[in-house]
Amino acid sequence: MRLLRKFLSWVGSTYDPMEEQVLKLNNKRFLLQPELAELVLQKDKLVYAGKLMGRDRKFFQPSSIILSELAKEENTRKVHLGRDAGWLFVCGKDIFEDNIHGVDGELVLDGYYLVMFEGECLGYGQFIESGDIRVIKNLFDIGDFLRRER
Amino acid sequence: MSNRRRGPHETQRSRRNQFLARYRDLGHPLTGDEQMGRSLRVNTLKTSDDVLIDKMRTLGADLAKVDFLTHGYWIGKTSFSLGASFEYLLGHYSLQEAASQFAVEALNPSHEDLVLDMCAAPGGKTAQIAAYMENRGRLMALDINRRRLYALENTLERCGVENCAAYRGDARDMDFKGLTFDKVLLDVPCSGNYAADSDWFMKRRLVDVTNNAEYQRSLIDAAIRLLKSGGELLYSTCSLEPEENELNIQWLLETHDVKLEIVEGPGSPGLTDVFGETLSPDISKTMRLWPDEAGTQGFYVARVVKR
Repeated sequence: MRLLRKFLSWVGSTYDPMEEQVLKLNNKRFLLQPELAELVLQKDKLVYAGKLMGRDRKFFQPSSIILSELAKEENTRKVHLGRDAGWLFVCGKDIFEDNIHGVDGELVLDGYYLVMFEGECLGYGQFIESGDIRVIKNLFDIGDFLRRER
Repeated sequence: MSNRRRGPHETQRSRRNQFLARYRDLGHPLTGDEQMGRSLRVNTLKTSDDVLIDKMRTLGADLAKVDFLTHGYWIGKTSFSLGASFEYLLGHYSLQEAASQFAVEALNPSHEDLVLDMCAAPGGKTAQIAAYMENRGRLMALDINRRRLYALENTLERCGVENCAAYRGDARDMDFKGLTFDKVLLDVPCSGNYAADSDWFMKRRLVDVTNNAEYQRSLIDAAIRLLKSGGELLYSTCSLEPEENELNIQWLLETHDVKLEIVEGPGSPGLTDVFGETLSPDISKTMRLWPDEAGTQGFYVARVVKR
């Protein structure tokens, strides 16, 4: 839960999952509705259950399910991209500051942002400076679906 | 045939002729060159048909409604890869063969049902069931293949499924702790068909068909055990071979207390005369999709109710 909570605070979310409903399967975190809990018969064979919150890795890797929920929250910090920059982002690339079309709130150095395209969340990143270049560093994007299936 | 060894082309020609002769004997002269159309399913957990189709057409995808599906569309010419678009990654649609979508339409699950998808990976039908259930209620998915379960996990996440518990397991020996289901989808591992696989005639022998049929019967037996009384099994294959279809259902009728419900849709009635063997007339309530009729791959669907 530590990495999940850290991620939620990074992007300014007020979402607070009920810890007793969170199911841990290896590095994955699921939110399990009570109705579905009766289908948890053999945890050692269970691979997926309920709402996937994400995976604990070096950084918390949120699921696309959680990203789409956070995108609807007014308070979360967001940067908005156009189609071309958005596609570069889902290909795993960092995004130059010049390619950011809009920001909800203020763009703060070292801040974390949901990366948006046409109202949908493509992932998240950190706004960093490297030399004289400022970019949204890609920490996770939904192009991961394609990379996982290779 | 002489004793000389057959080359691969000769083997393929021989098997092709053998299978095509069987289809001809079943009253359906196929050429062996029929191909299925490509199709997608709109994921109503994430978007609506109107919104997605309008957007896809704007982006350059030529889509036409599949008349026997609620949320299925034939894919025509496209100016981009449908397997690598924002909308695909966001889970707004899945690339799913039309006949495969039809199986879940025939099952017609709702959020009030406790549903089991017995051979679920890679999860296209599981996600479709969840959409029918509006992400509510309880859905269990099983598969024995860990590698294919990774694909299922991805599909469930991409499509936003939240009402499913998925296991690596075999329904024949898994401990369900007394649970029984309202509806079971059993889309069995099968021999497949040539319309979905250009090398199919090279890969398949008749002995594979009979071996598969035996394995399928053991899965059918488990599925019936896991159904509530009055519950419904939707049995489907993507095989054209009667051993895996009508003959398995005939065996089921003879060995279990079940009845068949009619499958309404785009195909032909199940065969009741198979290579000279007369089957129960009820088997005409099941449905076959021949690749030259529906524009789909070969497919078979039976609705079975446990008494």
